[in-house]
Amino acid sequence: MSAIEFRGVSKRFGNFYANRNLSFQVKTGTIHGLIGENGAGKSTAMKALFGIYPLDEGEILVQGKPAKIRNPVHAMKFGIGMVHQHFMLAGTETVLDNIILGHEPGWIWIKRDQALSELKKISTLYGLHFEKWDHPVSSLSVGEQQRVEILKLLYQRSDVLILDEPTAVLTPQEVKELFQNLKKLKDEGKTIILISHKLKEVLEFTDAITVMRRGESVGTKVTAETNEDELAQMMVGRPVSFTYQGERKMFANASDMKPVVRIRDLSVESSTEPVKKVSFELRPGEILGVAGVQGNGQSELLRYLTDPKKFTKSAQGEYFFQGQDASHLGPLEIRAKGMGLVPEDRLSEGLLLQQDMTENFLLGQHQDSRYQKNGLLLRKKATEAVNAKIKEFDIRPPFTTVWSGRMSGGNQQKLVIARALDSNPSVLYVAHPTRGVDVGAIEKIHDAIVQERNRGKAILLFSSELDELMDLCDRMLVFFNGEIRSEYKRSEFDTWSIGRVMGGGDR
Amino acid sequence: MKSVMNASLKSFLKSAAGALLGFFIGLIICKLAGESPIKVLKVLYQSSFGTGYDFGMTLFYTAPLILTGLAVAIPFKAGLFNIGAEGQLTIGALAAAWAGVLGAHLQSPAIAIGFAFILSFLAGGVWGAIPGYLKAKRGSHEVITTIMLNFIAAGATAYFTLYSIKDPDSSQAETIPIPPVFHLKPFQIFNGAPMGELILVLIGIVLLLHFILWNSVWGYELKAIGENERAAETYGISKQKVWLSSMFVAGGIAGLVGVVEVLGNAHRFKIGFSADYGFVGIAVALVARGNILGILPSAFLFGILQKGAGSLDLETDKVTRDLSYIIQGLIILGVASEGIWDSLKLIRRKKNA
Repeated sequence: MSAIEFRGVSKRFGNFYANRNLSFQVKTGTIHGLIGENGAGKSTAMKALFGIYPLDEGEILVQGKPAKIRNPVHAMKFGIGMVHQHFMLAGTETVLDNIILGHEPGWIWIKRDQALSELKKISTLYGLHFEKWDHPVSSLSVGEQQRVEILKLLYQRSDVLILDEPTAVLTPQEVKELFQNLKKLKDEGKTIILISHKLKEVLEFTDAITVMRRGESVGTKVTAETNEDELAQMMVGRPVSFTYQGERKMFANASDMKPVVRIRDLSVESSTEPVKKVSFELRPGEILGVAGVQGNGQSELLRYLTDPKKFTKSAQGEYFFQGQDASHLGPLEIRAKGMGLVPEDRLSEGLLLQQDMTENFLLGQHQDSRYQKNGLLLRKKATEAVNAKIKEFDIRPPFTTVWSGRMSGGNQQKLVIARALDSNPSVLYVAHPTRGVDVGAIEKIHDAIVQERNRGKAILLFSSELDELMDLCDRMLVFFNGEIRSEYKRSEFDTWSIGRVMGGGDR
Repeated sequence: MKSVMNASLKSFLKSAAGALLGFFIGLIICKLAGESPIKVLKVLYQSSFGTGYDFGMTLFYTAPLILTGLAVAIPFKAGLFNIGAEGQLTIGALAAAWAGVLGAHLQSPAIAIGFAFILSFLAGGVWGAIPGYLKAKRGSHEVITTIMLNFIAAGATAYFTLYSIKDPDSSQAETIPIPPVFHLKPFQIFNGAPMGELILVLIGIVLLLHFILWNSVWGYELKAIGENERAAETYGISKQKVWLSSMFVAGGIAGLVGVVEVLGNAHRFKIGFSADYGFVGIAVALVARGNILGILPSAFLFGILQKGAGSLDLETDKVTRDLSYIIQGLIILGVASEGIWDSLKLIRRKKNA
């Protein structure tokens, strides 16, 4: 018996097929992975399921019966619910109120007691161990907020739970917990569809996997019978390597080289996570990794390094950039001294989504003498430069007039990296370069980073993907609780040892 | 570049279609009120283009709206909503009148008029910069501060008019008249309507601002802050600088309404001279969809309607001034309901399917 079945579903936008003849089945009581690169049509398929897009062809069956779902509220009647990548919660309201929103028991007055006792029952039944019913949502951790979203679906009596990239925002511990919880739900007969691009997770936790490419289903595999390489090849349409294959230049006297960035006893006060007495040096020709579970001070460090001027009141310690005191400089001044930046979140910090590639390319370079003269922008020169970058980095679609918001995550990131490299900086601060980026683009981005290293650039690489850091870095700093807990040389890299330090333990 | 032009042309056509739709509904309402729509159209045409005088008057109504439309549209690019054009233009107009007092000894018209121009711009600019400064330094919301400053501007100008430079020979609440050397000459063909070369200067200002906003580093920073404040700041653009400068320029341009009114028309500052130009400017900017060049046709449209409102009241039995304002409101609604076009498309698609 299938909980959900797509039969020959097509969805067109003009002449473009977002979904073409898409067919797959999700068996009841299983965890089913739906994977594919950005733009492969996963979200279109889900929007079709929720009735947000009317189907052009084909039909969708729920519990074996053809279902014409008109909208997301209507989908609830079929027992289908979704946890979105960005949670749909009202931060200032309590957990309880968030969960019952739209389904409040009672007629004039809300019977919160009734809802609470029901929720407690649900929570014990599925072993979710949740207590904080009267806390405001904003006081919860991201993992807890996600559990609230799941509880909301259970309270609405959903049988099919769809989770869109649920692990993108979680720490490794929270990921583990999430999948334990999902397994319990499965054991109680719920069906779970997991949309993801992280192959490892999907392989570890699902029962079956459907791979999508260009709007079509490339095939559904039983998880136990497939592997990472096969799935990646199905997704991209060609073999993909997960490690950097190119040359890695050796610098003979690497440790004698003068550091280009020197940080000593840096402390940054912060309402989120303070940085405490951090010291390190960054030399030309090396990639220095910053590892750590998200929220242990790495973001604050990066923000300080790119804009120390903003922290003149809240930071102490030394920041030397190219041998000069940089602790009073703003982003443009440090950039002028040779900094290139790939910010943490390209959507909120890196791009103007409703502007074309040229305008985005100018961001941060708009005062550069190459692209402006007497206060007037030289857009033609910028457009020429973008065209060269499009060729160099294989950015698609290859038109400078495309809005950056209409590009896929991987291509957006290529644009951000191309912009960072354009001024030929000697120091690169790179954060999460492959987050939310499709497999095909990851290779290109990793190649670009190591090539810059080979050219003698100094690179500080922030990432929450330990595999990525271990593959690319020469040295690694491990952050915990705002401090550097340990430093590893490339020869000492070891997943379990680094993992222990990331969690606050010893090497 | 080509696609940028196409995009703004498309958005202009959308606006125009929306305005036509609103106007059409307005005509239906006139019909329901018992007036022939043909007659309404005829009266509107006659009142705005009928004679040289009529056309001059239409331009006279258009001119302040060009300026206040700009004063709303420019900060809007930086993500600010300037409700304070009314106050800024009032301060600018008082400054123009004061220029006449301070420059009573001036002989050359060019210097005198230039002096009034600069003083109006600076006075309006400083008034506009206050909310910009408060937002940059203290985070005060510009909608609140600009509204409040409108009241303060009204009170302050009234005070100075009555107690500092009041015309002793007049029983009205108005300032000393400015010397003739400050007067702007109207075109002969306008037959007495108070509008001359100034309208060309205003068109020049629009073109210049369009060029600056699109081509300058300043314009780029404005747009970047307006679109994504956090990204712009990450890449070193100061939002404080952008807020302050855009509000200064906007206030200054609103202040130039003082030149239109004081130098071109009344030759003195009269309390309450503005026919809500500052607020109609919001509608002008809205209909232009923040497009700087679009301000010109948009302001002209509202100029026609403002001029026509009086004529319709006089020359038709049923269409009163209030009904004209209803038509204006419908036009704004027609343009603002952008979503209508997409839903029309959707309905068509569903029918085809």
